[in-house]
Amino acid sequence: MDGVFIFVIVFLLLNIVLGLFRVWRGPTVADRLLTTQLFGTTGMAVLLVLAGYLQELTLLNVAITFNVLAILLVISLFKVWKKKKGETP
Amino acid sequence: MSVLIDSLLAILAIYLALQCLLAQRLIQTVFIFFAFGLALALTWVRLGAIDVAITEAAIAAGFMGVLFLDALRDFSPAVSKKQQNLEAVRNPLPGNDTKRPILPRLALGLGLVLFLLISLEAVWNTPEGKGLTVVTGVMLPDSGVEHPVTAVLLNFRAYDTWLEIGVILMGLLAIFAAGGKEVYRKSGMTAEDPVLRQVILFFTPILFLFGAFLLYFGKSGPGGAFPAGVLWGAIGILLHLGGRPVLTVIPRWLLYLILTIGPGFFILLGFLLMTTGSTLFEYPPAYAGILILIVETMAAISIAAALTAIFTNLNQMSEEPDKIESNN
Repeated sequence: MDGVFIFVIVFLLLNIVLGLFRVWRGPTVADRLLTTQLFGTTGMAVLLVLAGYLQELTLLNVAITFNVLAILLVISLFKVWKKKKGETP
Repeated sequence: MSVLIDSLLAILAIYLALQCLLAQRLIQTVFIFFAFGLALALTWVRLGAIDVAITEAAIAAGFMGVLFLDALRDFSPAVSKKQQNLEAVRNPLPGNDTKRPILPRLALGLGLVLFLLISLEAVWNTPEGKGLTVVTGVMLPDSGVEHPVTAVLLNFRAYDTWLEIGVILMGLLAIFAAGGKEVYRKSGMTAEDPVLRQVILFFTPILFLFGAFLLYFGKSGPGGAFPAGVLWGAIGILLHLGGRPVLTVIPRWLLYLILTIGPGFFILLGFLLMTTGSTLFEYPPAYAGILILIVETMAAISIAAALTAIFTNLNQMSEEPDKIESNN
């Protein structure tokens, strides 16, 4: 069972590494915005699996903290993006 | 087998930190910083420091991310121009365009070598026994809380925590001094976007509830005033971005009261306890639990207000660059 947990965690971490490619290449801000959401979601998944692996349920607090603050980034980025496109002065 | 996870996390964290410093464009730096915050939080979890992981998740990934995104807009030359294709505009970091100077590289290399030496020394000389863990464990029943980290932060080393709250207020003072106070009265953007309004309606109670939960949970597990303050501060930032600048509708004196109630109550309580013959911040064990909870609540309110004010002022300073210049 531990092997499954570790396999899943490593797989999810490699997903983050792959997501870095989008940060690197872009080409638009929207692509990078989606990458932050990928990081947030994947990080949350890693935390949830780690919570099962380490039998440490307080990790769920960390996961929820990540999750509820991810929306802040989206809205903030949305504002930045909108500003940069010149839709609002 | 878990060595696989740990080594992958370690490589990822160091690689992201390096890339964050060496990235060619500012936008890459900002987004790599998010990934770095995530890798760091996971590393803290693997090291068993879940309190630090929560704070890292809240401050580095949440609050600092928003601040960086706001700063990114200011540094972008596309703001002033009619620029449709943003990525055509490159933001080369200073010193990165022509020839790379030798001195920063030398300093970076020297810093890395020193850091490696210090890390090696730390690994070599692990202290015997369990350090202060045993002492904390013995004193834990007197502290009023069940979680050792909270006991250390809010009881045994309360003075340090008080200073930490002061650091956030100092940051806000610096922003006020830099001209943020003048533009503070301006109302924010208008929320004509229905999706944005729904998001705010949906997330404000969740952020508040979860912040309150973390605050109370700090008694018995990872949580406490700082993450709770960030989550409550996120409400203020969310409302500001949605065109409801919450800090501008309340009177100025009320804002100052909210900002200072945390550290103020904290230090007043400390001095009041001194009059009963104990030392500064020495809570009587019978009331320690409830006193710590009140102090933490006040501190969380102050931290939330301070973070909101920091973001609001920076955000509005950047929106009115002409006004700032005329103030100077």
